[in-house]
Amino acid sequence: MRSSVVGVVVAVATLTVATACISRSGSNSSQAFQPARTSDGKPDLNGIWQALNTANFDIQAHAARPALAMMPAAPRSGVAGLVRATHVELPHPSVRLLGAVGGVPAGESVVEGGEIPYQPWAVAKKKENAEHWLERDPEIKCYMPGVPRATYMPFPFQILQGTDKIVMAYEFAGASRTIHLDKVPDSPAPTWMGWSRGRWDGDSLVVEVTDFNEETWFDRAGNFHSDQLHVTERYTPTSADHLLYEATIEDSKVFTRPWKIRMPLYRRLESGNKLLEYKCVEFVEELMYGQLGVVDPATGQKNK
Amino acid sequence: MNARHTVPPLALAAAVAALGATAIGIAVATAASQNPTNAQPGATSSWTQAKTPWGDPDLQGVWRYEATIPLERPARFEGRESLTDEEVKESQRRENEQAEQRLAGAEGAAVGRRSVAESPIRGNEYNSFWQDHGRPRQVYRQTSLVIDPKDGRLPYTPDAKKAEARATARYGVGPYESYLDPDTGERCLTDGVTALMWQGPNGGHNRIVQSPGYVTILHEEYLDRRIIPTDGRGHGSIRQWFGDAVGKWEGSTFVVDTINFIDRTNYEWASVFTRPSETLHIVERFTRTGADSMEYRITVQDPTTFEKPWTAVIPISRLSDATQIYEYACHEGNYAMTNLLAGGRADAAKRSR
Repeated sequence: MRSSVVGVVVAVATLTVATACISRSGSNSSQAFQPARTSDGKPDLNGIWQALNTANFDIQAHAARPALAMMPAAPRSGVAGLVRATHVELPHPSVRLLGAVGGVPAGESVVEGGEIPYQPWAVAKKKENAEHWLERDPEIKCYMPGVPRATYMPFPFQILQGTDKIVMAYEFAGASRTIHLDKVPDSPAPTWMGWSRGRWDGDSLVVEVTDFNEETWFDRAGNFHSDQLHVTERYTPTSADHLLYEATIEDSKVFTRPWKIRMPLYRRLESGNKLLEYKCVEFVEELMYGQLGVVDPATGQKNK
Repeated sequence: MNARHTVPPLALAAAVAALGATAIGIAVATAASQNPTNAQPGATSSWTQAKTPWGDPDLQGVWRYEATIPLERPARFEGRESLTDEEVKESQRRENEQAEQRLAGAEGAAVGRRSVAESPIRGNEYNSFWQDHGRPRQVYRQTSLVIDPKDGRLPYTPDAKKAEARATARYGVGPYESYLDPDTGERCLTDGVTALMWQGPNGGHNRIVQSPGYVTILHEEYLDRRIIPTDGRGHGSIRQWFGDAVGKWEGSTFVVDTINFIDRTNYEWASVFTRPSETLHIVERFTRTGADSMEYRITVQDPTTFEKPWTAVIPISRLSDATQIYEYACHEGNYAMTNLLAGGRADAAKRSR
């Protein structure tokens, strides 16, 4: 008797898990899940969301390593006859004091198929970017993160869904985007966060993002784009507390074909949760300007 | 109102030099704006307050301060709360004339003064290119934005008054020894909560977007943003540049109560708006008075700076639906900071010779 009850429970549970797996397995999952609606009948995407992955370190698959900035170890000298078998890299002195805090966690690729279809010249540029990460990554200088990177920074963002405008408010650097659901003219100039036009496609919010400058990156690994970047984002509710985020990347100056990233976004469920300030401009002033003035505030000494 | 509230020169110049987006954007936006209302606030009688689909009063759109009213009452209007009909007429005639001069590219006109000589800031011409006054500014009867105290003056404590005087004397003069010395605007941080709403010419476009339980204000300037909950929650405990704001609806009026400011401005010359003390408490009341007009009323309480609370009534205008907020990439293009510090070093070298 008892064992048959357990059997039924297990069977139901298995079925539930199987159904859940199916419903989360692709962008068609919205057919299975009926999202809450706003008062004008659109899927309700309001809330504070966050990616939980390592894409901001590297959107491609990557092993764990000791630091973001590395340098080759000095050639070994000493014990005669000992030959080092492999090339060794160590944390760069500028980040060494962080120890394990400064390490890079491993992560799977968020790029569909794993490969980014760079043109040959761009492969070299990406490698160079990675080698000069400390000087080049715009995140270090608190510059606006661009799209899609803003979505998977290790900070929450809030969707505020108005009727003909949707605000996407990012905690990092206080960056914001207005998604225009109504008709608007073209952007008059290139931008960091792009010019976003949105539409509803079934239960998905689809956003065409254009008019980028070439200053932003995709991650801390030096993945980059040009001012021809065109991002098509798709936000699809897959449960009350999950969105599927997909972004198709097109840039004929840098890539040989369009490519795509995808990841779940998770609702921040803490009660009374709110987006807080991360006005990081003041955090980077010493780095950017400390040695340019008459006096360096960090040392109190006159600059040379 | 101190000149620096309307003309922070360096950061804005940097922003526009970097992108051009702000200047171009505003020019497009204001050209598309129509029908300057030179009337008193209150506007059309046939107007009724629209509601959002979820039933809140609808304040959405792009808003901007376009009036000529100074924050504090000028000495020449001492004892008078209102202008006469003749004064309003003459003042509006001058504003219209000046707008024409701006369109014609007359020198000085672009910065909202009748000539370069009238400007309180040296290097005015340099600053003028990013300023945009759009259509003619609107003349109201009010002789000061401050309506309480009755004398139209900010009730500074004696110490705060001295600090304000020192700050004013130093603005645009220096010395600039490090990046901590320019004001918060020049550092691309902020010009402060309320000032953003009424700094018309400095990219003072503000888009209000509403969603259930929230009113969001996107300020073009500094990309600043306020996400104000209206879900009945109380204040949080975290101090921020923009404090902790909670909102509620009182009839058609949106009331915002903000405390928990943090003072990280480093410098005395920051004004009351950009140097909030930790005792600052601001109550803002947004009330639409017509299709294209809103009364923005602020009551400021701060025993550290003021002897008593004061209230200002600020008329703001709704711009046409075509108006957009553009990306104000101030920090990303703050070349002026580098140049300012190089100038500071050159000055120091000269002094030591």
